[in-house]
Amino acid sequence: MKWIPNFNSSNSLRVIFVIAVFILLFLSSIAYKHNQDLNESSKLAMHTYEINIQLERLMSAIKDAETGQRGYIITRNNRFLTPYLYSRDKVNASFVTLKKLTVDNAVQQKNLENLFKLIIQRFVSFENCLKYSDPKTYDKRKLDNHMFGGRILMENIRFQVDKMNDIERKYLKKRLEIYDQEISLSPVFSISLFLTALLFILLAYRQISRDFQRLKLFNKQLLISGGLMAESEIIGKFSTWQWELDSHKITYSDNQYRLLGVTPNSFVPVIETFLDFVHPDDRAAVSESMDKIIEKKNLPFIYYKIVRPNNEIRYFKSTGKLLTDQQGSKILLGINFDITDEHLLNIELQERNRELEKSNKELASFNHVASHDLQEPLRKIQTFISRVSEADKAVMSESGRDYISKIAVSAKRMRVLIDDLLLFSRTNTTKKEFIKSNLNELLQNAESELAEVIHENKAVIKASKMPKLEVIPYQIEQLFINLIGNSLKYNKAGVPPEISIESEKVLSSDYPEFLEQSVKKFHKITFTDNGMGFDPQFKETIFILFQRLHSKTDYPGTGIGLAICKKIVENHKGHILADSTPNVGSVFTVFLPE
Amino acid sequence: MQKNALNILLADDDEDDRLFFKDAFEEIKIQTKVQFVHDGMQLMDHLLDPENKLPDILFLDLNMPKKTGKECLIEIKKSDRLKNIIIAIYSTSSSEEDIEDTFVQGANIYIKKPSDFNTLKKIINEVVTVNWHYHTSGLNRDNFLLRLK
Amino acid sequence: MKLFIKFDINTICSLYLKQNLEEQNVNFKTLGFGEIEIEDNLNVEALEALKENLAPHGFEVVENQKSVLVQKIKDAIIELVFLEDSNNYKSSVFLAEKLNHSYGYLSNVFSEVTYSSIENFIILQKIERAKQLIIINEMSLTEIAFLLNYSSVAHLSTQFKNTTGITPSAFQRIIKKRRENLK
Repeated sequence: MKWIPNFNSSNSLRVIFVIAVFILLFLSSIAYKHNQDLNESSKLAMHTYEINIQLERLMSAIKDAETGQRGYIITRNNRFLTPYLYSRDKVNASFVTLKKLTVDNAVQQKNLENLFKLIIQRFVSFENCLKYSDPKTYDKRKLDNHMFGGRILMENIRFQVDKMNDIERKYLKKRLEIYDQEISLSPVFSISLFLTALLFILLAYRQISRDFQRLKLFNKQLLISGGLMAESEIIGKFSTWQWELDSHKITYSDNQYRLLGVTPNSFVPVIETFLDFVHPDDRAAVSESMDKIIEKKNLPFIYYKIVRPNNEIRYFKSTGKLLTDQQGSKILLGINFDITDEHLLNIELQERNRELEKSNKELASFNHVASHDLQEPLRKIQTFISRVSEADKAVMSESGRDYISKIAVSAKRMRVLIDDLLLFSRTNTTKKEFIKSNLNELLQNAESELAEVIHENKAVIKASKMPKLEVIPYQIEQLFINLIGNSLKYNKAGVPPEISIESEKVLSSDYPEFLEQSVKKFHKITFTDNGMGFDPQFKETIFILFQRLHSKTDYPGTGIGLAICKKIVENHKGHILADSTPNVGSVFTVFLPE
Repeated sequence: MQKNALNILLADDDEDDRLFFKDAFEEIKIQTKVQFVHDGMQLMDHLLDPENKLPDILFLDLNMPKKTGKECLIEIKKSDRLKNIIIAIYSTSSSEEDIEDTFVQGANIYIKKPSDFNTLKKIINEVVTVNWHYHTSGLNRDNFLLRLK
Repeated sequence: MKLFIKFDINTICSLYLKQNLEEQNVNFKTLGFGEIEIEDNLNVEALEALKENLAPHGFEVVENQKSVLVQKIKDAIIELVFLEDSNNYKSSVFLAEKLNHSYGYLSNVFSEVTYSSIENFIILQKIERAKQLIIINEMSLTEIAFLLNYSSVAHLSTQFKNTTGITPSAFQRIIKKRRENLK
């Protein structure tokens, strides 16, 4: 999965976007607040002006009343009294309005109340002035007093109104100052914020376009490797399928369809469709192993047959594994191999192997029976010859005696040949019972077998310590007999044979050309003699059945002995080598697995 | 050496072999009485007949018709009356497997039929002598294993 | 459960013989292994009856002088072989001293009666002892070779093979398999 790029930039992108959005939200909230503040301040200004106007109106209404009263007192014309009469209403109306406007301001309410008291006193003073100016009730002193009191009251009212106006103005001024401060701060701040947001968005854009480039590249690679995969599936005769366990979605690779003998994507696969293709004999087993796969997470290879729509039978080998992807959903990945060709080849091979085995067995048993049954008549011939007594021979002609002895020699030679053949065939046919044996003991047995010849030749056999190995004891004994016997037979004239046998442990990796590498350690046993040796060019052929390096008149033998050695060593999954220097001696090396 | 002649029984289907055997026993110094049977069935009939005296040594060919020597050997070793007979396998086979197998089944002696009459005489002489030693010197018969070539 | 029992054949035989003779009301004196002196003078019929009675138990009255001597030689050889410190004796000297005859005479008598030599009989007995030691004591060949006065394991091995025709290891294997078959 190396080729899937790691888009970790998406996380930083997300952070950038969130920051930008927050900045923008912050900016808009600031703008909204400014708007609100502006609205507020204009309302405030209106409020102040309104109070101002109402107070002026109040003032003018009182003035109107004063002017009207004065005119009336002077002229005594009732027309001058009209404004005075209306002024009261006007004052009341203004007062109500003012009361409403200052409802949120306790100080102004208090001031308004004082003003109202003053206004009422003024109107009382008006009434008194009217009363004492009336010719019927005229009283100059009282009129003067009230007129003068009215003046003072007027001044107090004016003072009170100015005071209220002042408060409003100051309040307005203070509020406006605060707003001004706020507004003067924000533009720099919001512009810088805006620029930051812009920067972030630009960065994000750059990252996105870069990721996009990479994605495009990887997509291209994916396409190529996907194509290669599909191609290799076709070449390698295998296919893959995925089963998303959560969504129950099954996907076949194109080659899966082809292996099943249909065109790619010609149907939508569900679990059962695959089983439909499986040969009825194998259906239960395949179904069972599909269930097992979910349980055990992976599956050893299963082998089964499928039937293509055209009734062709193909042999499949399948395996699968339960995978969990990054999102935690489970996917069953399956691989099918079409092994029909191998299977058929295998069957053919098995068939041939069986035939080979059979013919080998037949050959071996023929060999055994032939040599075994040949023994009988030969033994009779030899025994009958031995029964021809000296007395019988005395009455025979010389040529008759000669023939008898020639028959005896030939029969003896045939005996050796048959015995050796029998021995050779037996190395194949006897049951191969491996027993842990001490090789020194087996060598001892071999030496006692050869004791007579050893004694005759005055031979010296030196052996180092040999291991205990799982071997077929008789065969290893025979191997030793044959190798030592061989050295004794081909000795140098007049020189007592000396055979030294040495054993050491070696690694198979040191002899890769002929040792089985699956076994690590071997025992290397060397048989070195001081005999006549042989031409090293024959070191391979010497082990071939019936191969003889000497004429049988010089050295009686059958050419079977060393072939038996080779066979025995092969039975033990070992190896045997021969080497020699003529007139110096020969070395036979036996490798036996530990 | 013994008051009564040694009782010998040979089970072999080969007429020539029976002849060699008879001649060989006649030529050795030990006094013996040799009887013959021709196959495994006849052998078992002979042994199981209470009229017949049990042989001191039974020479048994492995390769016989009707019942092989090996089958006879197993049968003899199963019978309480017969199991103490000294059994000498007398066979052409020299396969180590056959030899060990018959020893394991209870044979005491294994003789590979020789291809020389003098050897035969020598072998028979040795068998009888060793048997006599075992018989007269209180040796453990279970350990009586002898292989002759 | 399986037990391996080592037994002394001489003791058993002597005891068994004694029991048998007592059962037949014979007055006797044991002179040595395999030799008794009957105190009453038995007539020919009584002697025959005694022989007949002993025969089913595996006892046989040895009749002539030479056979008696051979039996004595055999007994001496068995004694020699089973003697723990037999290493100290040379067999010819041992036999000559024990039986009070020259070794040459003993050898001749033995061959005449048994058709085999004293040497062969000694070897047979030694190998027989080796067999016992292999089976019962499960001794190694090296130990047995030393105990039986062989110069080397090879010597013992070769003699074992020459005497029995099989190798000591094959012998051991066969006996082991026989026991397994019996189970």
